[in-house]
Amino acid sequence: MRKIWAVVRREFVERVRRRWFWIMALVGPLFFGAVFVLPSVLARGGGVRQIVVVDGTAGPLGRRITDSLNATRAFDAVLVRAGGQVLDSLTTEVEEKRLSGFLILTDATVDSGKAEYRGSNVSGLATVGTLRHVVGDAVSTARLERAGVDPRIVAEARVPLHLATHPIARGGATAQTGEQSFSLAYFMGIILYTAILLYGINVMSSVLEEKTTRIVEVLVSSVRPFELMVGKVVGVGAVSILQFLIWGVGGRLLLARHASPLAGSDAANGEEIFQVPHVSGGTLAIFMAYFLGGFFLYSAMFAAVGAISSTEQEARQAQQPVAWLLVLSFVSMFALLNDPNSTLAITLSLVPLSAPIAMPVRWAAGNIPGYEIALSLAILVVSIVGVTWIAARIYRVGILMTGKRPNLRELVRWVRA
Amino acid sequence: MTSPTPLVLDRVSKRFAGHTAVDQLSLSVPTGVVYGLLGPNGAGKTTTIRMIMDILQPDDGTVRLFGQPSGGRAHAERIGYLPEERGLYRKMRVLDVLVFLGEMKGMDRRQARDRAGEWLERLGLAQWAPRPIDELSKGMQQKVQFISTILHNPDLVVLDEPFSGLDPVNTQAMKDIVLDLHRRGKTILFSTHIMEQAEKLCDQLCIIAHGRKLVDGPLGEIKRTHGGHHLVIGFDGNAGGSARVFADKTLVNKVDNYGQYAELELAPGADAQRILSELVASGARLSRFELQEASLHKIFIDLVGPDARNAEGREPHA
Repeated sequence: MRKIWAVVRREFVERVRRRWFWIMALVGPLFFGAVFVLPSVLARGGGVRQIVVVDGTAGPLGRRITDSLNATRAFDAVLVRAGGQVLDSLTTEVEEKRLSGFLILTDATVDSGKAEYRGSNVSGLATVGTLRHVVGDAVSTARLERAGVDPRIVAEARVPLHLATHPIARGGATAQTGEQSFSLAYFMGIILYTAILLYGINVMSSVLEEKTTRIVEVLVSSVRPFELMVGKVVGVGAVSILQFLIWGVGGRLLLARHASPLAGSDAANGEEIFQVPHVSGGTLAIFMAYFLGGFFLYSAMFAAVGAISSTEQEARQAQQPVAWLLVLSFVSMFALLNDPNSTLAITLSLVPLSAPIAMPVRWAAGNIPGYEIALSLAILVVSIVGVTWIAARIYRVGILMTGKRPNLRELVRWVRA
Repeated sequence: MTSPTPLVLDRVSKRFAGHTAVDQLSLSVPTGVVYGLLGPNGAGKTTTIRMIMDILQPDDGTVRLFGQPSGGRAHAERIGYLPEERGLYRKMRVLDVLVFLGEMKGMDRRQARDRAGEWLERLGLAQWAPRPIDELSKGMQQKVQFISTILHNPDLVVLDEPFSGLDPVNTQAMKDIVLDLHRRGKTILFSTHIMEQAEKLCDQLCIIAHGRKLVDGPLGEIKRTHGGHHLVIGFDGNAGGSARVFADKTLVNKVDNYGQYAELELAPGADAQRILSELVASGARLSRFELQEASLHKIFIDLVGPDARNAEGREPHA
């Protein structure tokens, strides 16, 4: 027992001492933060767009649309009367990048709802969405007025809609919004996938180092191979927990600092896909339980991969099947997010290979009965024991072997031996 | 007997897919002896040592250590082991590696730290203690590995090809360490295929080929029983009728005649004095007449013989 402890401590201390660990500690939150915030930043597009509204209408439509666009703060709009060479010169402006684009309004706009936008980039979803929204509003206002409705009544009728979506979870509606659930689930999925892969590969290279330097011979003459493997996995696991603690504390501080500007941009843009979620104690517990479960399950496999390889290159190749299992679980996360209570989602969160990612994602996305979690955890634990047993038998033979990598039939023989 | 025999192998066998690496091998290593396990490459030396160390399990037979029927792991704190292929954690600091390997042998951290410091001092590596292993030269790394083998003051030291890959300075250092351990009453088992070293260091030995034992026992005894008698003869200008004397099969088994110099192997039961008198009678003038013990190298070649060439095959993969 004291020897296992020594193995655990060596893995832990040596890793925490490395520069790599501290780089990860610093870069990790930034990386995850970027993964978290980037999609919404990208979707929003860059900065204020300079556009010109070319007004060919008789009424006040052009003026209204220009004012509304300027009010969104996403556009810097200028009103120009239609006619002459206006369109040609504006096209040149756009080509020379002095202008993002221009909106063409005619009398047909009010009659049939037709308008045209020409610009350098017409695929920016947020830009087009805002334009559509603003023009649509102005047109329907104009038509209502033409039908004799009092402009004040029209303005009063235009209450902006905010559809608040709250998941019902753990016996009641939560204060959490749907967007928050989504981003929490997404965020947890990414962290789980990255961390399990990262630390699993850490275990693999640790096994490989002892094998290639032949230290393993001295070690297994003093500790049982199984003890050595378990010590290694626990040691690396402890490193990952420390890393999470650092990330957790660092992330909290970072989010606390950035909470206000994020909230501000929410107001400006109406809806926001990614929002800072509230992380409850239960969520943390589920996250850690499944992270550790997934880590133990996968790192046992990675340890076996390290044991059957003789060089870094070989290991990189041999780890692919294991890594793919994890990638598959990660990819299936998106299906889960769509419908967390589909049969597929329930199956994935019970199958031990995908459960470590699928279950926390489902948990974050919605309501899950307690017995499902208990069942999924039980299956996971049993699988860890089974996989570790098999991996240990491969490990035991593999670490002393040199030369050709064994094929599948040989592996089966090792396990049976 | 005050203490049980440190190591006994009783008809130990190990088979790998397709061939038998060690075949019914029995040997006994008494306390305080330097014991050589000799054999050509692929003879099964490393496999034997790995079975002693509990790295491999014998298919048949038993390994007894310190009187108990168990492999090396149960006695890790009393056994030091230097494998043939060596290496250390490259990024770890020298002192940390030694402390960790000491812990693996059941030492506590403080004791391991103190003892490692002493040894590093003694081998002139004290200033390297806080440096990572990969900053050390190969020779220094080998010294660190010797230290790790004997740090926990083991009673039995098992060295697999301890001199392979060492430069002359480290070879000397290694010999000094072995002799020092021997003086302190430790038991040493080492394997080698270099007979000159074995001849200088071993009290007892066992020669194996193809996994089978050819001979074992004290060095002197093996030399007496297997060495035969060798005669070196030098002529002083006139070899007389020596050729006729050498041809006498009742006296001479084998001759290596250079004209002015000859090496003979006596026929079984032949008397060297008779050869001397017959040579003198034949008119030869002798400048040298010397009875010699065969070298271990010669005994080894004679015993292993053609096998030595055939045994160059593959070393078992595990």
